[in-house]
Amino acid sequence: MNINNVLKVVKDDGIIFLSYGGFLSQTLISGMTEALEKESSKSAINMGVSNNIFTIFIELSQNMMNYSKNTIENNRNIDPSGLIIVSKDDENSYYIHSQNIVSIEDKEKMTPKLIDVTTLSKDEIKKKYKELRRSGKDTHWKGGGLGFYEIAKRCDSIEYNFREINKDKFYFHIKTKINLTKSKEK
Amino acid sequence: MENLVIKETKYTPKIVLDTNGIISLTGKSYPENTFEFYEPMMKWIENYFQTDSIGMTTINIEITYFNSSSSKLFFDFFDLLEENSKDNKIVINWIYDEENESAEEAGEDFIEDFEDLDINLVQK
Repeated sequence: MNINNVLKVVKDDGIIFLSYGGFLSQTLISGMTEALEKESSKSAINMGVSNNIFTIFIELSQNMMNYSKNTIENNRNIDPSGLIIVSKDDENSYYIHSQNIVSIEDKEKMTPKLIDVTTLSKDEIKKKYKELRRSGKDTHWKGGGLGFYEIAKRCDSIEYNFREINKDKFYFHIKTKINLTKSKEK
Repeated sequence: MENLVIKETKYTPKIVLDTNGIISLTGKSYPENTFEFYEPMMKWIENYFQTDSIGMTTINIEITYFNSSSSKLFFDFFDLLEENSKDNKIVINWIYDEENESAEEAGEDFIEDFEDLDINLVQK
């Protein structure tokens, strides 16, 4: 993992109150979610907003957990660790970042979904989410069939990028922003 | 048929399946393997409608937050209920905290998707 990225996030987005780099497990994820719950009750964040933060955090970290398990099971030559950061700026927005290494095949699989969630309107995302959930296509317990749409429903903006390591591998970085004061737009 | 109770954990809800017609799910839902976790519940309910189901079944769901695979699972759960709603009287209470807008929205989405089911939004 590139520590410079972590430092850059601190500079851009203010206070970090949770960060983890390494191999993710379900126990760790639930421990960190509990820590986020404590943090949000301490700062008296609206329950709807804080549940969105927890869901996005869980979605991103379980994505990475499942991806790395798959990587290990299939003996793929990819570093299975991931990086997840929750931070807050002084304008009352929360950010959840995750970064892990993905293969070029997976980059190509993810890209259409990522384009959807960064370009469609909230209504279109909701519609797509419901269609996907109904069809069951692409939706199983591993991987992000519905996941990116779930995240998009619950945050105010998504940015992502793929940074090339070599021709087969990329750093995948996704950044989600959650505003504490909800905009009325749906 | 016997009752089935599954204890709550930090990431899975308490599930009570009672042959007297009361079913409840309470807590959070983000299991590692969602479909495996809910399989005993789904089997129990299928079996219940085939054998034991009495006149009226009430389902109380109070989930504070859940991951996307749980969302898919709840969809399948409602689907199963809808299949059985012609021969059985089923009432679903989707319970949420007043402040929990995201849980309220999730309930509204299920109402839109399952027009034949009797789903009530119940604010705590």
